[in-house]
Amino acid sequence: MTLKTLLREPLVHFLGIGLLLFGLYALVAPADSGGDSITISRAMVDDLKAQHQKLWGRPPTEAELKGLIDSRIADEILYREGLAMGLDRDDAVIKRRVRQKYELIAEEEDSAAPTEADLEAYLKANPDRFRAPPIVGFTQVMVPTDGTDSEVEARAAALKSALEGGADPAAAGKPTLLPGRVQPMALDLVAREFGERFAAALATAPQGAWAGPVVSAYGLHVVRIDSREPSGVPPLAAVRGEVQREWENERRLKARAARLADLRAGYDVVVEP
Amino acid sequence: MMLAGVAGLALTVAGCGNKPEAAADKGSAPAGVAETDYPERPLFGDTHVHTGWSADAGQDGAVTGPEDAFRLASGEEVTSNTGQKVKLKRPMDWMVITDHSDGMGTINEIQAGNPEMISDPFLKRMYESMKSGDEAESSRVMLELIQRQSDGKLPKQVMDPKWMVSAWQKTIAIADKYNAPGRFTALIGYEWTVNAGGGDNLHRNIVFRDASDKAAQVLPLTTFETMDPEKLWAWMAAYEAKTGGKVLAIPHNGNLSNGRMFEETTFTGGAMTKAYAEGRQKWERLMEVTQIKGQSESHPSLSPTDEFASWDLWDRGNLNGLGKRPSMYRTEYWREGLKSGLRLEGTLGANPFKYGANGATDTHTGLSTFEEDNFWGKFKSVEPRKGRWSQRLMGVGNPGEMASWEQAAAGTMGVWAKANTREAIFDAMQRRETFATTGPRMSVRLFAGYDFADADLGSLVKAGYTKGVPMGGDLKPAPAGKAPAFLIAAMKDPQGANLDRVQVVKGWVDASGKTREKIFDVRWAGDRKPGLGGKLPPIGNTVDLKTATYSNDIGAAELTALWTDPAFDPKQRAVYYVRVLEIPTPRWTAYDQVRFKETMDPKVPQVHQERAFTSPVWYSPA
Repeated sequence: MTLKTLLREPLVHFLGIGLLLFGLYALVAPADSGGDSITISRAMVDDLKAQHQKLWGRPPTEAELKGLIDSRIADEILYREGLAMGLDRDDAVIKRRVRQKYELIAEEEDSAAPTEADLEAYLKANPDRFRAPPIVGFTQVMVPTDGTDSEVEARAAALKSALEGGADPAAAGKPTLLPGRVQPMALDLVAREFGERFAAALATAPQGAWAGPVVSAYGLHVVRIDSREPSGVPPLAAVRGEVQREWENERRLKARAARLADLRAGYDVVVEP
Repeated sequence: MMLAGVAGLALTVAGCGNKPEAAADKGSAPAGVAETDYPERPLFGDTHVHTGWSADAGQDGAVTGPEDAFRLASGEEVTSNTGQKVKLKRPMDWMVITDHSDGMGTINEIQAGNPEMISDPFLKRMYESMKSGDEAESSRVMLELIQRQSDGKLPKQVMDPKWMVSAWQKTIAIADKYNAPGRFTALIGYEWTVNAGGGDNLHRNIVFRDASDKAAQVLPLTTFETMDPEKLWAWMAAYEAKTGGKVLAIPHNGNLSNGRMFEETTFTGGAMTKAYAEGRQKWERLMEVTQIKGQSESHPSLSPTDEFASWDLWDRGNLNGLGKRPSMYRTEYWREGLKSGLRLEGTLGANPFKYGANGATDTHTGLSTFEEDNFWGKFKSVEPRKGRWSQRLMGVGNPGEMASWEQAAAGTMGVWAKANTREAIFDAMQRRETFATTGPRMSVRLFAGYDFADADLGSLVKAGYTKGVPMGGDLKPAPAGKAPAFLIAAMKDPQGANLDRVQVVKGWVDASGKTREKIFDVRWAGDRKPGLGGKLPPIGNTVDLKTATYSNDIGAAELTALWTDPAFDPKQRAVYYVRVLEIPTPRWTAYDQVRFKETMDPKVPQVHQERAFTSPVWYSPA
C-alpha cells in the first residue's frame, strides 16, 4: 500500500486524528494526583491554551488564561473533596458515564480494518441488506376526479389517448404540486412521496407507454415509465462504504456484548425475589 | 496551541480523502448527487435528537448512541432503551444529532496523562515536535505515524484501546459514516444548552453544513464557557473563518424561557443595537416552533381571536418548572416574536427576530419518532408501556410540573432542498425555505410576488420561483398601487390524513406603531361557508376512539390558492406565513389507550388537528 492510497483510507484518518488529538492531549495533561498538593504543570497550561485556541480560533488573553487555570484548580479541589465525601456514589450520571466509557473501550478493542475478504464474505452472507431498490424514472399526469366513477373513468381514458396522441404531459390533466416528470428515483422513495400503492403499480407498469389510471395517496394518475433499472445486489466496489459500516457495527455490538458476558461470568449476581 | 498546530496538520491529511478526485477513483464513494433547478420535494427530518451520550438522557437510562439514532432514522431496526425493537415505517430523509455540548468532552479524559507514553522514543519525538511548534518536524512525524500504522508497527502504548477519541470526534465520525447523499443525509450538530437563571430555556441547536474534516477543527461551545448568545455567534464566526465551513443556530422552547427568548434587550440586559439585530438574524435562521415539550408558535392569551392557538401548551413554568407570570408570554412565542421584530426593525434598522419555521422532536431516547401511532416518548422512562400517560415527567413538585400525557408527539421539518445532501439541506435552512409540522409529512408551498395571475396556479413552482420569492424570503417594496399576492399550495401526507384548511397568518405594525395580527382562511375542504364573524365552521370529526382510527371521507388531499392581502398598506411592515390544518385525527394517547387497553383521565386529550407552519415572507416599505 503506498502512502498516497493509505492517506485516502478513512480509518487511517480516523486513527490518525484520534491518536494525535487525544493521545497527545493525554500526554500533556497529567493525571489527577490526589493528596493535598495541586500542580498545574506547563503541559496542562499548554493544554488549556490549546483548547481555548480550538474553541475560539485564538489564544486566550492573560485574564482568560487566569480564569481557565483558576477554574481548573477549583475543579480539582472540589472534585477531590467531593470524592472524599462520597458524592460520586449512587449518582446515575456518573455511573452511566463510566459505563459508557467502558462500553466504548470494549467496542474499540479490536479496531483493525476489515480485509477485502471480510467485506466480500459479509456482502455474500447478507445480500438483502445491500440490495439496491429498483429505480424508475416516470411521467405522471393527474386525472380530475370530480363527478361519478364512470365519468372519471371516461376522463382517464380520454386523457390517456390524448397523451398517446402526443399531448404535452405538462399541460394535460389536473394541475398538481407533485412533480410531473420524475427523474430516476428509487422505488421506496417513490412510495414515500406518492404512497405505497402507487409505487407498487409502477413496479409492474410497462415501459415507454401510457398506463393507468393508477391510484396514489392524492388521486388518480396516468403514468408512463421512462426508464427502469432492476433491483440487484451491487458488487462490493459499489457499496464498500456501506458494507464496511455494517461490518464494523456488527463487530462493535458483538464486542460490547461479549465483554459484558465475560465480566458478568466473574460476578456472583443475585436478584432477590 | 502546539496541539492545535498538529491538529491542523492531521486534518489536512484527513482532508485529502474528501477531494472529489480521490473519492471518484475509489469506486465506493456515492456518485455525485445533482441539485435540481428548483426544490422539487420537501425532505423531512429532525434537527433535535439526543442520544444516551447526552448526560440527562443517560441519567434516565438511555443507552442508545449516535449510531443507533442514525440507524433508526435511515430505516434500520434498532433496540430501544427498554429492550424493545423499533423500526420506522417510513425512514427519514435526513437527521441531525444534537447531544448536549456540556459534558460531551469528558470521554477523552479516560487516560489523562501517562508517563508510560513518553517512554517510547517515537512518541517522545512526537511530543517534542509538538511542543517545539516545528511544523516540518510535526509533519514528518505525522507521516511516519501513518506509515507505522499501516505496517503494524505502532508503539504498543498507542494500540491500547484506552486511547479513545472524544465524544465529539466520535459523534462527527459517525455522522460521516451514515451520510448517504441522495438517500439519507446525516448532518453534524450539537446543542448549546443555556438554562439561564435556573431553567430559563435559551437552548440553541447548532447545525453544520460540513463534514468532520472541518467540524473536527473546533470544539463545540459549552455553557461552561458562556451563556451569552452573542458569544455563541462569535464562536460561529470563528468556526467559519477558520475552516471556511458554515453553521447556523436554531433556538428552541421559547415557551419554557420564562419570558427570555424574545426579550427586547441583550442577554446581559443591555439595549439592543442594529449590530445585535443583524448578528442574531445572520446566525439564527430558524426557530423551533413545535417539539415534544410543547409548542412555541402561538399562545391563546396573545392571539385571543385565533381558535386554533390553544394546542400542546406547556405554559406553566420554565424547564425546571419554576412558575411563570402571564406577562412573560409576550416574549416567548414565535408569532409574537415575528411581530415584535417588525416593530424593532422600525427603531433599530434591523429585525432581530427574523426566524423561519422549524419543527423537531428533542427526543432524549435516541429514537426520533414523531408519528402519533409510533411515539416513543421524551425519555426512556416514558417509552411505550401501559400507564405511561400518568407518569410525572418534568419540573416535579414545582408550579410548572408536567405530566407525561402532556408530551406532544412532535414534530418534523420539511426542507425545500434541491437535493438530499448536506449542502443542499443546509442551504435551504439558511434560506429559511422550510416548514414545521407537528409530525405529518405534508407539503406546503408559499410564494409571494406582485405579478401572479390565476393561470400561475397551473405551474405554481415555476411561476413561484421566477415571479416571486419563496417562504423565508423578502418582498421588495410594493410597486405603486399593487398589493402582494401569495401562491399557496398544500398537499396531505401521502400516508396521512386529509387537509381541513389553509390559512394565512399576517402580522404587522399599524400606523400608531402597535403590532397586530389577523388570520385569513384562504382555502378549505368541502362546501362550508364562513359564519358569524367570518369564522369557518369546523370540518367535522371521523375519529373512532375504540379503534384509534379516522377516515379520509372528509377533507381534501390538496388545497391551492392565489390570495391577495385585502388590507395591504404599502407603508406598513408586515410578515405573512401559512398555517395548514389536518382533519381531526387520534392523538398518541388514543393509540396508547387502544394498544394497552387502558382508560385515561377525561382531561387527557385524545383527538387533535395536526398542522404545518411555513417560514414567513417579510415585507418592508421602501
